[in-house]
Amino acid sequence: MSEHVVETKSLSKHYGDFIALDELSIHVDRGQILGFIGPNGAGKTTTIKILVGLSRPTSGTAFIAGVNCSENASKIKRLVGYMPDQFGSYDNMRVHEYLDFFGAIFGLKRRDRCKRIADVMELTDTTYMQDKFVESLSHGMQQRVGIARTLLHDPEVLILDEPANGLDPKARIDMRQLLLRLASEGKTLIVTSHILPELARICNTVAIVSGGKVRAFGPLDEVMRSLCPLRSYEVQLAMPEQLDRASEILGKILKSTEPITLSRTERVLRFPTVRSENEIAHVLRGLVADHISVSQFREVTSDLEDAFLSISADNASTPNAADRIDVGAGLAAT
Amino acid sequence: MNSILFLENPILRRELFTRLRSPKTFLAILSVAILSSLLVLLRWPSDATIDLISQGSLQVFRPVAFALAVAVMMLIPAFPATALVSERRRGTLSLLLNSPTTPFHIYLGKFAGNVLLAFIIFSACLPALAGCYAMGGISLVDHIGPLLLVLFGMAVQYTAVGLWVSVLVNSADASLRWTYATVLALAVLSIGPTVFVGKLTGIKSLLAHWMTAISPISALQAITGSQAQAGEIGISTSWIEFLGVSLVITVFLAVFTLIQLDPRLLERARPTGKVVGRTRSVKPFGGWFRRVSYLVDPQRTKASIPWWLNPVMVKEFRTRKFGRLHWLLRLIAVSGIVSLLLTVVAATGTVSWGVDRIAPTMVLLQVALLLLLGPCLGANLIAAEVESGGWELLRASPISPLRILVGKLMSTIWTLLLMLLATLPGYLVMGYIQPAMSGQVGNVLISLVIAVFMVTTLSACISAFCRTTAVATATSYAVLLTLFAGTLLIWVARGKPFGPLLVERALLLNPAAAALAEMKTPGFELYRLTPDSWYVGAGISFVCLAILTARIWRMTRPN
Repeated sequence: MSEHVVETKSLSKHYGDFIALDELSIHVDRGQILGFIGPNGAGKTTTIKILVGLSRPTSGTAFIAGVNCSENASKIKRLVGYMPDQFGSYDNMRVHEYLDFFGAIFGLKRRDRCKRIADVMELTDTTYMQDKFVESLSHGMQQRVGIARTLLHDPEVLILDEPANGLDPKARIDMRQLLLRLASEGKTLIVTSHILPELARICNTVAIVSGGKVRAFGPLDEVMRSLCPLRSYEVQLAMPEQLDRASEILGKILKSTEPITLSRTERVLRFPTVRSENEIAHVLRGLVADHISVSQFREVTSDLEDAFLSISADNASTPNAADRIDVGAGLAAT
Repeated sequence: MNSILFLENPILRRELFTRLRSPKTFLAILSVAILSSLLVLLRWPSDATIDLISQGSLQVFRPVAFALAVAVMMLIPAFPATALVSERRRGTLSLLLNSPTTPFHIYLGKFAGNVLLAFIIFSACLPALAGCYAMGGISLVDHIGPLLLVLFGMAVQYTAVGLWVSVLVNSADASLRWTYATVLALAVLSIGPTVFVGKLTGIKSLLAHWMTAISPISALQAITGSQAQAGEIGISTSWIEFLGVSLVITVFLAVFTLIQLDPRLLERARPTGKVVGRTRSVKPFGGWFRRVSYLVDPQRTKASIPWWLNPVMVKEFRTRKFGRLHWLLRLIAVSGIVSLLLTVVAATGTVSWGVDRIAPTMVLLQVALLLLLGPCLGANLIAAEVESGGWELLRASPISPLRILVGKLMSTIWTLLLMLLATLPGYLVMGYIQPAMSGQVGNVLISLVIAVFMVTTLSACISAFCRTTAVATATSYAVLLTLFAGTLLIWVARGKPFGPLLVERALLLNPAAAALAEMKTPGFELYRLTPDSWYVGAGISFVCLAILTARIWRMTRPN
């Protein structure tokens, strides 16, 4: 049976008339990675601040490992490793001294601290920069030092605000592997990022927030299915002069609700559909029967970006929409 | 460049108008207007006799002139000192340098913005100066005009200094520290050769004369009719010479700043750090040389923070350039050497000064050092942490507010106490020369320790209410100089209009005055300030500490 390590129940935060969070309820199980996404000003940082004990909710509750975040902030600080989006650099301080300072303020004993610093530096591949000044490091290097800092006190939950921000592709792959490794070791991670394809590769669960409300929450694949029910297909032709004819044939087979997009330069026709596999096979048969030279016929898989954009588009057209899609784990759509 | 182009400089407009819209600027203008008017009102003659030699009006004019000069020294350097370094750290300087705007226009915008702002602030003292003029005996040509020109010269010179320092350093707090140190050196230490060495001849005399002309003190003495007092300590330069030297310094610094304002020069990489302790491959000569020159090797690996030390305090020492042990030891060594030198000078009779004159000089030097370093260190404690984002990390850690407070305060108090301690040999020699002074020396040291606590708690308290280091430092300097120099201004006006009781009460706020009174400094020998001054100082420190504790507790709570 799964165990909710992080759980928020009807969490709300009001700043005067402004509602930063509105009845936010999410949960994350041990060893899972929650991708916490949403546009700027959606309420992600507010939620994170409540979870790490830096802010109090107006109403609702938040728990980490069964500890109430607003009532027992000091306990929470030992349970959570928090990496804010601002690094928090100190002048004239070397990486080793920087980690030593944070180890000391988390109360690690001197001998344990030295060993722990060596371990986290090895884990985050920062050993080679231990004698460099923190402020002289590149943004990507600082991000890795930031992760090393959050790991120092061996927290149960890691909350990382934009960890992949500013990283080069190699560092991003390293970061991904590091986060997956931490999850496999039983850490629970909450990660916010605007680099959604990156996030989609690591998170098991996703929460999409907008306007302070959770718009979608659940396992990644199920959220994708719920938010992007239309599958998109691409037909690439060998002969560009057949594009108009192929479009005509598709138009006859498909309904008007399945608009066809034509890209002459790519020799491609695209259409969204809800049809079954058999019906799709019927479409391909129709094209081939009319002597259309099809070089490729494939499904274009939707990604987290599409899901996010569909939520954003819905939100833009109906800003007060109260719809929330909860999927999986026995939760019903509301 | 025509006037329209000058006013259309976007940097000038941004610098000037943004600051003019700020409530803090309004407060500064209002403070100058109220304080200068108050000084005139307080010294306004109330007796019915006619002052034929116009000494009465000069007695009114003199404190106003010196108060304005102190205000210029306190307020004007803070903004140019952070102007370029802040832009560079935010990355906006690169944007400006990559735009069609030339470095000259950027410099001109920042320079003119600050000088115009200074001019607007001075204009607030015009009603007070008009009051002096109305009293008679004060002329526009001999007094008010030259005073405004000297203030303008100071504003121009200190703006150039601030911008020059700002382009050279890497952080706002270092820039503020160096700017105020340079301003202090230009305004006060430049008269050192003339005052301390005494009669010089030939080229040395000429050099000492022009060095004295860098300082506005002599010019102000000449304008306010205090040439006799100035002559006593050997300074006799005119305000025209001051303006000439200011212009030369300004042009020189402007050229140097413009040369530095080059994208290629600004793109200097920060040293990434080099450590020798971790590996065994230390060159014997290099290691020995570093050991001798630094006393403590700065490149040596720092030990892990032990359990018995407050980690916040250690962090504060390690993140300050001057807090690092090798710098601290140098500073202490310099303080010790200066104090011993002064005592030896008194003992050997190199100059005609006795211990009674050297002791106040030492007290004043110590207080000057305290006022130079204290506000910088204190104002950095909270504001710099908030500005760098480090405060959020401290809040997210389980460390208690009390431990943060103690660590931060102790990092400043230890530094300042160590500097005081360094001068102890000087006082010991003094006690040896005049054994009767031992009790006085003890009281002086207590007063100075109280001063350390006052400076630290006041500036830390101010820092806790500011979001940026620059504002915290400037405010700390303003408040502390008002407390230390302002009370001395009241002392200057003793007899007219302030009675001895009021002067004594004002001096109770100033531990430096208590130390001077203990040393029987001329002018202070009538006042008995200890132990009451200690209680007042301790009371102020306690109130500041209480406010600071409450503020830190509040800042570490969830929002």
